[in-house]
Amino acid sequence: MAAASTATAPAADTPRFGALLRNRVLGKLLLLAVVAAVLVPIVNARWASGSWPHALTVDLTGPLGKTSDWIIDNRDSHPLFLYFFGHISNAVVVSVRGVYLVLLAAGWAGVTAAAGLIAWRVAGLKLAASAVVAILVCGWFGMWVPTMQTLALMIVAVLASVVLGMLLGLAAGLSDRTYRALRPVLDTMQVFPAYAYLLPVVLVFGIGVPAAVLATVVYAAPPMARLTALGLRGADGGVMEAVASLGATARQRLLTARLPLARKQLLLGLNQTIMMALSMAVIASVIGAGGLGDRVYQALASVDVGAALAAGIPIVLLAVILDRTTAAAGERLGAAEPDGRRLHGPYGWGVAAVLTVVVALVARLAGRIDWPDTWTVNIADPVNSAVDWMTDHLYSGVPYIGGTADWAGHFTTWVLDPLRDGLQWLPWWSVLLIVAALAWLIGTWRTAVTAVLAMAAIGVLGVWKPSLDTLSQVLAAVAVTLVVGFAVGIAAARSGRLERLLRPVLDVFQTMPQFVYLIPVVALFGVGRAPAVAAAVVYALPAVIRITTQGLREVDGAAMESARSMGATSGQQLRQVQLPLARPALLLAVNQGVVLVLAVVIIGGLVGGGALGYEVVFGLAQGDLATGLVGGAAIVCLGLMLDRVTQPTERRAKKGA
Amino acid sequence: MSTNTTANAEVTDAQAGSPVFSVNNLWKVFGPKADRVPGDAELAALSAAELRARTGCTAAVRDVSFDVRRGEVFVVMGLSGSGKSTLVRCLTRLIEPTSGGISIDGEDVLGMDKGRLRELRRHRAAMVFQHFGLLPHRTVLDNVAYGLEIQGVGRAERRAKAAEVVAKVGLDGLEQRRPGQLSGGQQQRVGLARALAVDPEVLLFDEPFSALDPLIRRDMQEEVIRLHREEGRTMVFITHDLSEALRLGDRIALMRDGRIVQLGTPEEIVGSPADGYVREFVRDVPREQVMTVRRAMRPADADEEGRGPAIAPGATVSEAIEAVARTGFAVRVMDEGRCLGVVDHARLLGVVAGTDGSAGEGFSGEADVAGADASGSGSDSADASASASASVSVSGSGSGSGSAVAGADAGADAPAPVTPPGEEVA
Repeated sequence: MAAASTATAPAADTPRFGALLRNRVLGKLLLLAVVAAVLVPIVNARWASGSWPHALTVDLTGPLGKTSDWIIDNRDSHPLFLYFFGHISNAVVVSVRGVYLVLLAAGWAGVTAAAGLIAWRVAGLKLAASAVVAILVCGWFGMWVPTMQTLALMIVAVLASVVLGMLLGLAAGLSDRTYRALRPVLDTMQVFPAYAYLLPVVLVFGIGVPAAVLATVVYAAPPMARLTALGLRGADGGVMEAVASLGATARQRLLTARLPLARKQLLLGLNQTIMMALSMAVIASVIGAGGLGDRVYQALASVDVGAALAAGIPIVLLAVILDRTTAAAGERLGAAEPDGRRLHGPYGWGVAAVLTVVVALVARLAGRIDWPDTWTVNIADPVNSAVDWMTDHLYSGVPYIGGTADWAGHFTTWVLDPLRDGLQWLPWWSVLLIVAALAWLIGTWRTAVTAVLAMAAIGVLGVWKPSLDTLSQVLAAVAVTLVVGFAVGIAAARSGRLERLLRPVLDVFQTMPQFVYLIPVVALFGVGRAPAVAAAVVYALPAVIRITTQGLREVDGAAMESARSMGATSGQQLRQVQLPLARPALLLAVNQGVVLVLAVVIIGGLVGGGALGYEVVFGLAQGDLATGLVGGAAIVCLGLMLDRVTQPTERRAKKGA
Repeated sequence: MSTNTTANAEVTDAQAGSPVFSVNNLWKVFGPKADRVPGDAELAALSAAELRARTGCTAAVRDVSFDVRRGEVFVVMGLSGSGKSTLVRCLTRLIEPTSGGISIDGEDVLGMDKGRLRELRRHRAAMVFQHFGLLPHRTVLDNVAYGLEIQGVGRAERRAKAAEVVAKVGLDGLEQRRPGQLSGGQQQRVGLARALAVDPEVLLFDEPFSALDPLIRRDMQEEVIRLHREEGRTMVFITHDLSEALRLGDRIALMRDGRIVQLGTPEEIVGSPADGYVREFVRDVPREQVMTVRRAMRPADADEEGRGPAIAPGATVSEAIEAVARTGFAVRVMDEGRCLGVVDHARLLGVVAGTDGSAGEGFSGEADVAGADASGSGSDSADASASASASVSVSGSGSGSGSAVAGADAGADAPAPVTPPGEEVA
């Protein structure tokens, strides 16, 4: 294949050419140009330029459709389903149902008490109060039952993810070979948009709760596995040696030293797993998860912003509470236990459990199990009238600045359309060349090969055009994100006050599930590609700002001091010292920005973003799994390509060595 | 130096017993196909840089042999990279040696199976580490009790024992703290207590005080000296600090590039360095605080035997200087009422200036024979090997254990100890 040879040939020749050409960048570009000059005429002569040649595509729709049909036909009869997937499916249904029934039996009072007491045990009084308020708000918005559904699904999915992640992490943490095999897989899985996970599970399990739970587990287990492995491998060598010197057995070394030493990472893994699980549990409403996510999904489908917000706010509250509580548990580990605390250890947990049961029983005896209808407030209608007012007054025709819909329209006409048309107009081989050049300049020849292969795979799958459409949205969103993110990040790095102001905002934004971002942009910009891009920008901004600020702040103080001592102005300090030294952080910000933007642009298919995201949604909605699966595969390839193109890590590692 | 005197007595009566650790021709080579290096005479003779170029291997410990006697403080000293830390880890096979033999109380360590090795680590040899190696999530008390816990000792019993040891190392009142809340010195006391709690036969110290401030280091050294005086436990102590080695060690093995270049008492190392490397190493040592009057004395004249202050043969030269300066007379070295010899101004100055050469050694070899003729043999031309074979007490401790002590043999054979006075001055 053309792509492969473009990338492998330079690899072999690098030393020779490197010796000839002092300038590495120029050398690489020149080499690529030479290879292109040889290959392009051949390729051009054989296949037409322009879009990906039809001769080079493989139509997977047929076989995939057959597979899907076969699975549907045999789901109830084939032994593989009867004795394996069937049991998994049943186990999931039974456990989710069981947890849900327990939550209902506890009643709203019991659940609220339990949430408050758990938060109190883990994170202290302040968070306990917030947890109680958050849970009560969920009920107050009339979302008690969906909240409990989401919670039940979450509890089962998180438990399964943690167990699976811990097992994988243990294996990778204790065996070098497993670690080497598992690490690239886990790293890559973190790059894929959540959507990519939906279709394969639907293919096997059909739409419903089992599929939703399993997709969530597959999505949420990798961080747990990764951090467990990292924690176990990062155990202080001195401590481990000391433990061995006292004659501990392998089991004792693991249980009394290695695992406890990794507690911080384990809790961080738990925190990430919970957040990922919530994010996915909401998205999985597309494949039948039910609960809060489903309410948002349904509301968005009918552009009912008020109803979407009524379900979206509980999601955000859940996210914030879960995040803060688990994060606080991690921080508490480092701090000393205050001496002489009375409610210490198991005793405190016992008190919490007893109190919960008492509250639940009291509520049951008082006949107040279900959330009282009179205690709800309907926010959908006022929100909707506000949105209507906005539609009337802010959408367009505002003097001088224009309306939000005008902006969206202009953005689509002047930025997105030219970008998409430009990309689609480019000859397919030139897209591959650009990808190769970028990936090779930023990363290594290995990342370039992966990126080019991923891009070529998109062409082979026959979704070249929609993929470039998605790509154009991603590029536009990334450009906006980086400009705004770097500007704000630099400003925050230079002004302590701005950083203090931003921090809580960023904290909340970073914990919100991707899905929720669609609600406000639909309210502001309606549906279409521009809102999808806007949601992606808002979602990716916090991470970019945070990484930029941190990178600039962590620049070696001695270097800054010496620059100051030579009389550099603050602009000179920034340009000549801070930015060059923070280069790795800035590149990481770009990489993160791209990955996060892609995730939301794909989800944007739900609000008229079209392109690949829409193919997946369409496939799910129409039961046309083949189309959806091809779209999902293209998303995976696109994610892989974008990550590899912006991945500078390997070269940095080489430089350090 | 008071330990030195008490310890010397213990060493003398322990000499009859078997050594605690006996190490023979031990090799530890890191790198690909490390096994071939020790067996291959040609490779074994290469220098570190040549070996690495030829094979890609690094020999951390090369052909090392020594005995650790019961009740002594055996110090292994060397600069970083000399292989001393690797050596001490080989003793309990925290690092698996490449070849050679190690035995503890006559039992082959390298032949032990996992269970036996665990028993060795649990009950017979406990180690104290440079960076403490404490478990950050446990209290001080639980850290100290950890060794007992993994032995399966019950909770109440191990806590009682741990509390006892915590008090012994001076950490009373801090039992419920976490290691992170303690200073470096306190953390190392916890490390020491953890090793002591299992009541091991031997304590192994791997540069335990290197990470501490100088003042705290001194405190901790005194703590070790005190513990040793009280319990008489055998200790193997690794350090890169010469003054620490001289303060604590009954015998010192000086390592360079994986080999022991000299093994002997502090006095021997300082008084008769085996080669230029050792001499360079000990150049700035205040000799009067290490050398004993036994080495500095000369036979007494008839009239000197009856007067002047008396001093024990193990006393340091600096003590003798003080006595001489006070009285103005030469000091008599008295052992059980017998006058072994005297030290006068000239002798003492010779020690301080480092111009005494091996005179002391030549003389001390004949000391027990009360040898008047030793003085006649002349200070410059002492026959080193003859003196080594004849000696039983001080200088004998270096080569007395026979062929096992490679470094000391080399030292005894080499003419190096006979330092021409002119060389030192120039």
